[in-house]
Amino acid sequence: MRISLKWLAEYVDLPAPEELARRLTAVGLEVEGIERTGQGLEGVVAARVLSSERHPNAEKLSVATVDRGEGAPLQIVCGAKNYAVGDVVPLAQVGAVLPGGQRIEKAKLRGVESSGMLCSARELGLDADAAGLLLLPREVAPGTPVAAALGLDDVLFEVNVTPNRPDALSHVGIAREVAAILGTRVRMPAPRLAEQGPAAAERVRVRIEAPDRCARYAARVVEGVRIGPSPAWLARRLEACGVRSISNAVDATNYVLLELGHPLHAFDLDKVAGAEIVVRTARPGERITTLDGKDRALEPDDLLIADRDRGSALAGVMGGGDSEISAGTTRVLLESAWFAPGGIRRTSRRHGLRSEASYRFERGADPGVVIPALDRCAALIAELGGGTVRTGVVDAHPRPHRPAEVRLRWSRPEAMLGMPVDRDEARARLAGLGFEERDAGAGGASYVVPSWRVDVSIEEDLVEEIVRARGYDAIPETLPPIAAATPAEPADAVVVARTRVALEGAGFSEAVNFSFVSEPDLAPLRYPVAGIALKNPISADLAVMRTSLVPSLLRNAARNRAQRVEDLRLYELARVYHPAPEGHEGDEPSVEAMHVAGVLLGRRLPLGWSAAGDAVDFYDAKAAVTAVLEALGLRGAGWTAGGEPWMHPRHSARVAAASGEPLGAAGEIHPRVAQAFELPRGVMAFELSLGALMRHGRWVPSHRPVPRLPAVLRDLAVVVDEAVEAGSVLAAVRAEPLVEEVVLFDVYRGAPLPPGRKNLAMALRYRAADRTLTDAEADAAHAAIVGRLRADPRIRAELRA
Amino acid sequence: MADLIGQLQSLAATARDAVAGAADERAIEELRVRFLGKKGELSAVLRGMGALAAEERPRVGEVANRVRDEVEALLAAARARLEDRKLEAELSGPPIDVTLPGRRLLPRGHRHPLTRAADEITAIFSRLGYEVASGPEIELDWYNFEALNIPADHPARDMQDTFYVEEGTLGPGARRGSVLLRTHTSPVQIRTMKRLGRPPVRVICPGRVYRSDYDQTHSPMFHQVEGLCVDEGITFADLKGTLAAFARAYFGPATRTRFRPSYFPFTEPSAEVDVSCSICGGSGQKSGGRCGTCKGTGWLEVLGAGLVHPRVLENGGIDPTRSTGFAFGMGVERLAMLKYGIDDLRLFFENDLRFLEQF
Repeated sequence: MRISLKWLAEYVDLPAPEELARRLTAVGLEVEGIERTGQGLEGVVAARVLSSERHPNAEKLSVATVDRGEGAPLQIVCGAKNYAVGDVVPLAQVGAVLPGGQRIEKAKLRGVESSGMLCSARELGLDADAAGLLLLPREVAPGTPVAAALGLDDVLFEVNVTPNRPDALSHVGIAREVAAILGTRVRMPAPRLAEQGPAAAERVRVRIEAPDRCARYAARVVEGVRIGPSPAWLARRLEACGVRSISNAVDATNYVLLELGHPLHAFDLDKVAGAEIVVRTARPGERITTLDGKDRALEPDDLLIADRDRGSALAGVMGGGDSEISAGTTRVLLESAWFAPGGIRRTSRRHGLRSEASYRFERGADPGVVIPALDRCAALIAELGGGTVRTGVVDAHPRPHRPAEVRLRWSRPEAMLGMPVDRDEARARLAGLGFEERDAGAGGASYVVPSWRVDVSIEEDLVEEIVRARGYDAIPETLPPIAAATPAEPADAVVVARTRVALEGAGFSEAVNFSFVSEPDLAPLRYPVAGIALKNPISADLAVMRTSLVPSLLRNAARNRAQRVEDLRLYELARVYHPAPEGHEGDEPSVEAMHVAGVLLGRRLPLGWSAAGDAVDFYDAKAAVTAVLEALGLRGAGWTAGGEPWMHPRHSARVAAASGEPLGAAGEIHPRVAQAFELPRGVMAFELSLGALMRHGRWVPSHRPVPRLPAVLRDLAVVVDEAVEAGSVLAAVRAEPLVEEVVLFDVYRGAPLPPGRKNLAMALRYRAADRTLTDAEADAAHAAIVGRLRADPRIRAELRA
Repeated sequence: MADLIGQLQSLAATARDAVAGAADERAIEELRVRFLGKKGELSAVLRGMGALAAEERPRVGEVANRVRDEVEALLAAARARLEDRKLEAELSGPPIDVTLPGRRLLPRGHRHPLTRAADEITAIFSRLGYEVASGPEIELDWYNFEALNIPADHPARDMQDTFYVEEGTLGPGARRGSVLLRTHTSPVQIRTMKRLGRPPVRVICPGRVYRSDYDQTHSPMFHQVEGLCVDEGITFADLKGTLAAFARAYFGPATRTRFRPSYFPFTEPSAEVDVSCSICGGSGQKSGGRCGTCKGTGWLEVLGAGLVHPRVLENGGIDPTRSTGFAFGMGVERLAMLKYGIDDLRLFFENDLRFLEQF
């Protein structure tokens, strides 16, 4: 809300602008901006033209003498022709700097001395009009600063009015707050209303068919109006507040809106069919063309101001084209009504139509100002347009306003605020804000809420009013008593923390991506489930809730590569969102699951003289997953070939807990998916369900005794078919009870092995828990393993010398 | 016998000279084979022992052993000498290139600044006895708005541009009713109160929130941390003390706080909370000019807070005539930007490694 301090000062005495801004902000009416108008016009004053003669040496110039209110008249050379002797015009005096940056100096123009410059509106930065000098009203005294003469010496506040305070959306509303702060009184505008002639009720009838939507509809009639432009002072005030001047009658309604905060509407009475106003909801299929030229289909919930035949305005939102004030209007029907906020808001939202009126009605208009605003506006129209206000108000008032009464216990402010509150100060504060005290007693009092304070309905609201005045600074700082019990760290927090540490240790940096992606981003992943979609996404790129974290990470990878960052390890730990399945329990609308995912591409180790520069492969992705599993104490996880549909089917795997519950997958991104994301081959990724990790992890370590007895070490090399999985060989080795540990330390293909065969070299450690193992025992166990590897039909190992 | 002994002594003398002249490891090894090997000179001499009388053998054997020990000792000493010389040569030889960069390990990954900030905020409140709570991001209208005293046709809904969910995509098990992406972490207040059922409630809820607004200074997804403390006798003074303690812990011990009246539908009274500018220390001035971070005001708006509205307590199943509470909320992006001097919101979601690596 823009507030003109010049205007505001009509209703209340003001402190300096900075002080006022500070104090308004302190009571919750935040002044977000202060604009001083008329700046840059210092040194420009009004001057009366005393004489004007042709320039002796230049045909297009003239030489004027002007009176600037002090000293001797000045001689000025001027090029304009639109003025006459006796006119008052702006004079930029020597030393002034015009808004365009031009500095005025004493000069000789074609041999004639000029002590300043007479200015056009454009030269003063006021208007594009450069046709001639800006002519000021002749009654302006010479010497008056031109900013003051034009009413530009104003300070404008941009006040951020929170949605609960529609009462502060006007100059009088702000004046009320200022008066309460300063302990002074508001000077309310007192309209000079002269009613004449026939009763308004003879000119128009008003009927409310929807009293629950319109509690009151009051109308006045002004006849004999001449529609024309508004006087400059009024247009300026409107424009200062960001409202365009249209015509005197319309401007009068806007003026009262900005002054008292109450939206009014003016109709051309001659265009009101049947001279009847009906406040009703729309009929099925009914349409209306609003002032913005749009033809709108109405819903039965839309409230209309109609005449006998049809709707002429969307009540409290916007007028319609048919009955609008036009240049030929002479009889004005003026509406001042009170509409229920909810309905106004629904209509406003439904039609995407917001106006100054709907903004106020949906927040709650002041039922007490319906008639004063009507009177004020009628008087103003009569004054500006020369009309006559007909006698009386046509007032349909089916639901009289009943002021709320709120009880305040004297003990309550202290109990809420944590500091003593002086009772008399509290009472004075409430009285200053217009709250009327009733039934004051030892325990408390009741307060009648002023009609404009739609936000006050409970005791806490009164306490807020009291503390608002004192300021929160007065309240001390204390701490609540400390909790009696300290909760253990919840399991999900442990899993999250350990997963982060594990992945960061494995070189992964954390990414944070939007939870929504584009449908095409998910499509290449070929997930079996469709994602949850937004009804009103910002764009198609941000339309579907992620079912996987991977697409976002692939986008990140592509973006980093575009920046020439080619070695990359990123992880994200966030939720994915799945539709609720049949029989979904609880009151959460969907299934949200915490996932962790990573991408890795480029070199395994950073480029350096000591690193081979090998690119990452499946086993790096697997290592990252393994690091997470180890950090969570999750043992016995099994890997099976073939990962997610978006992975390379031959370079990927799923990982599951020993129980078989899936944990996730890791592998190379499917070449087609990589292509879709504009990535090269060889990008690795993994994605794990944190919920599954939490169910299977055992992160509290359980101690086992450190072996004291000596171990026997043996190496074993076997040649198997390429298709034989290392895992089955290792499992067969581990099946020997004396094997404490086996490490696969080499996988060899090539000569002298035949093609399709590979050599697996393993280091074995044998140990018995209860005795020192002899070489003979170790040899026997080793031989047993070799025998098993040879005999197992799935392995068919050959021993390598 | 004397002959054999003479041969042994001459062998020893030969060995002494030969070993003294050995120049390297190989020469020493050759000498060992020559004198002590199976087919070596010592063995050759000893083969002559078979011809000796039984009583002479121990005598010759004794000499032979002495000679073997001596030769072995000679060889060992020669080896040690050689090793010493070699070590000496290495230790006084040319140095390695110590300017070659250290071997590159896989560098540690970096935690996202938003996570860092949220973790720090959460940790501060944990020390004040708060538990971490969470709730769904795809949320029912009731929790996000209605229960927080923001009914359907309330203009306060304009304060938050809401993303709504296409109900047809919510799956066969979805509840009926309006579903949205939560616009704030405040619905966790209601869920937590309902879950706990009675005071004391003391929770901190970090999480993602969503608003339909996307420009230089607004992101459609961002992060908040919500706090809620409900008990008998909780006051606005407790709120002030708690947030002042938080501000000092997060921004530094000299940080001051300022509470201004404001409006949130779910608190009454409500406040905006400013902290003294962490960049200029609250002076509004920086290096002679106006501080750009606080725009010269010396204050930064970082929090919204208030006493929990009685209707909100009721909706959480808590009796407002017996308990009071306070709630507060803050934007993690803003707090991270202030703490780490980040000046562009969009950097958080671009995930450029060169940005992430700075944290």
